[in-house]
Amino acid sequence: MRTGRLTGSMVGIVVLTLTAAGCGLSGSSGDSDSTAGGCKVDKGNVGSGKLTGEVKGNITFQTTNLKKDFGTFFNGVIKSFEKAHPGTSVKWIDDPGDATFGQRTVADAQACTLPDVLNVDSPTATALTKAGYLLNLGVKDPDAAKPFVPAFWKSSTMKDSSGTLVHSVLPWYTGGVLLTYNTDLLKKAGIDPAKPPTTMFGLFADYEKIAKKADGKYFATMANPVWRIPADWDQMNIKTLSADGKSAVFADDPRTAQWVAWMAKLYKEGAMPKDSLSSNSDPSTLYSQGKVAYGSTNPSFVRFVKQNSPSIYAKTAVGQQPFDALGHTTAAPQYIAAAATSKNAPTALAFAEFLTNAENQTAWCKDPSVVIFPTTSASLDDPFFQKTTGDDPFSQARKLVAEQLKTATAYQTNISTAVQNAIVGQVQLAMQGKKSPAQAVKDAQAKANELLKQAG
Amino acid sequence: MVATQTAKPVTVPGAEAVASAPGASRIRKLARAVLPGPAPGANGAALYRRWWLPWLWTAPAIVCAAVFGVFPFLNTLLLSFTNAKPLGGAASFVGFSNYTRMLGDADFWLATRNSVLYAVIVVPLMVLLPLLLAVLVEKNLPGIGFFRSAFYTPVLASSVVVGLSWQWLLADDGLVNTWLEKAHLIRSAIPFLSDSWLILLSAMGLTLWKGLGWYMVFYLAALGNVPKELHEAASMDGAGAARRFWHITVPGVRQAMMLVGTLTGIGSLRVFTEIYMLGSSTGGPGGADRTLPFYIRDVGLDPITGNAGYGSAVSVALFVLTLGLTLLAQRLTKEDES
Repeated sequence: MRTGRLTGSMVGIVVLTLTAAGCGLSGSSGDSDSTAGGCKVDKGNVGSGKLTGEVKGNITFQTTNLKKDFGTFFNGVIKSFEKAHPGTSVKWIDDPGDATFGQRTVADAQACTLPDVLNVDSPTATALTKAGYLLNLGVKDPDAAKPFVPAFWKSSTMKDSSGTLVHSVLPWYTGGVLLTYNTDLLKKAGIDPAKPPTTMFGLFADYEKIAKKADGKYFATMANPVWRIPADWDQMNIKTLSADGKSAVFADDPRTAQWVAWMAKLYKEGAMPKDSLSSNSDPSTLYSQGKVAYGSTNPSFVRFVKQNSPSIYAKTAVGQQPFDALGHTTAAPQYIAAAATSKNAPTALAFAEFLTNAENQTAWCKDPSVVIFPTTSASLDDPFFQKTTGDDPFSQARKLVAEQLKTATAYQTNISTAVQNAIVGQVQLAMQGKKSPAQAVKDAQAKANELLKQAG
Repeated sequence: MVATQTAKPVTVPGAEAVASAPGASRIRKLARAVLPGPAPGANGAALYRRWWLPWLWTAPAIVCAAVFGVFPFLNTLLLSFTNAKPLGGAASFVGFSNYTRMLGDADFWLATRNSVLYAVIVVPLMVLLPLLLAVLVEKNLPGIGFFRSAFYTPVLASSVVVGLSWQWLLADDGLVNTWLEKAHLIRSAIPFLSDSWLILLSAMGLTLWKGLGWYMVFYLAALGNVPKELHEAASMDGAGAARRFWHITVPGVRQAMMLVGTLTGIGSLRVFTEIYMLGSSTGGPGGADRTLPFYIRDVGLDPITGNAGYGSAVSVALFVLTLGLTLLAQRLTKEDES
């Protein structure tokens, strides 16, 4: 009798758990007709038709690592929004934006608990759009495009589950890309800091000059190719992925193998610290110590040098990023998205648009400690962004980025972290001399395709 | 002078009303059944024998185990037979194809080799070294508290801080290479952070260093149960320190050693942070240092290209490996005991 009860109880537990597991497998939280990414949502959040409804209630707003430096500004924006829309409350969450940010976002999405408004980069926005977790802003607010520079709005698109390009994100600030360098080290190597190269291979040739002159005492740049793939290839107009994004095609371009051969040569010749081949460290620390000639390509890097190493800042200059075959830069901005799973979607959309409006973008981008630019047309008309004076690296950085934004687009190759790691891994092997550049490129493409194939 | 007081019955306001209320008898019976304390009379004893009572007591633990252990495991098992994506969406059953793919996947076998190697090297050292450390700091000598704290400090440090410290130590111009060069032991820097084998060994060193203090505390507690008289008697019979260690201390803490071995074995097979800190997001050059959890992240969790089905299949393989090695260790220990 007792055995029977025990067996019955155990069977009951297993059946209940399996049922629950089955529910988890389906990824659905309900049987409603209106779902977004497997979560039950209000009908107005998905499908066709403008989003309507009262702007009220509580929403959450997530940024990545902004509270420390810009807490006062964002708290002010939130207060202004709440004042303009009585009955609303915005809870600000600042994610550290570390290595597991993507996984946390996935977990939030799966649990139907994405923040209502979130700051996302291009790869994360791509994944969330494909799975249907973001509001289709082009449909939900047909006027959403109005404030933005047309080039940025037009190129800020992501593919939905059917492969259709949709506007699921609002462009936010953009930083551009620049060359930042130690003029003393460049002069020692016989490089004119006033004439930065215009091609990637031209830049590599300068790295080689530094390696020969430095003899291991200092370096040109960091070795880990993760900082350069696919940004360098984008700049060289090498197609990393096919037009439909379902296969890798970079090996078909002979310049890819040439690029890898350059990297291998530079690594062998000592242009890069040997121990930085698979290191998480960007050039910040070594540049600030005067051990690396070229710093990060993020224009706000100048602020880091100014704050942490005044003596190196005095030797620092900035130059235009080599435009190479592309002819312009791909300044993919940061994005703001509203979750389709939001329970207060009208409020979420209103806050997303409020945060990215010209007034707030202008106010933030004028922060003297950053080199960021707004993506709204009215903001760019502001004299602050039009007339930059001063010869210090900071002012020069603003001037160069303003110049490149005249032709920049947001188009950027979006590869997943896993695909990037697969490609980078093979390039690392070529740099160590364990594979020929041609073989490494071929193997990298095969590994990337394996991952793309499983993504479907 | 102590005043003698007579105990008075304590009355609770409203208790009489409750006692006389309809159904009060049933409430009393239930209270007797579920609340601890002696059962007044045969009726209470019978209630204690209710078949559901043990289930009631263990229900919170069962629910927790089911929600946080059994459910995720069964969900993973089910997912391993599908092509599910990390961000949800339609998933279809694909039979054993994830498992057959796994068997022919060279990267999976490389990750398995690294994980097994990690366990094989780290577990014996992690079982033995903290014990030696515990024996060293067990004695109550002046200032010994400082050493106990010093050995325990790495446990308190975050993995990220420890990882960064080790990067600085092992860099080409780091402390270790600089010392070795100054001592004329090496001519050029040892590539601790760019050679895949050395990255793996360095990561093991990091795991050991971080775990020593934690398991030292385990052993300090266990050493307190080893009778000192045995050591004294052995000393009188002329047994040296090493002999006493092997014949008295080790058998005395055998249970603790088994526990440390099991916990370390499971931990070693799940290692991720150490490899990430020293080998970056690729898991060493060419991904050569990736362990199974690292590989699961790459193939299963990526929001864009991840395949949660395949990742789950690798997770099941990791579970089987962990269970297999744990059972093997237990069996070997039992054989040794017999």
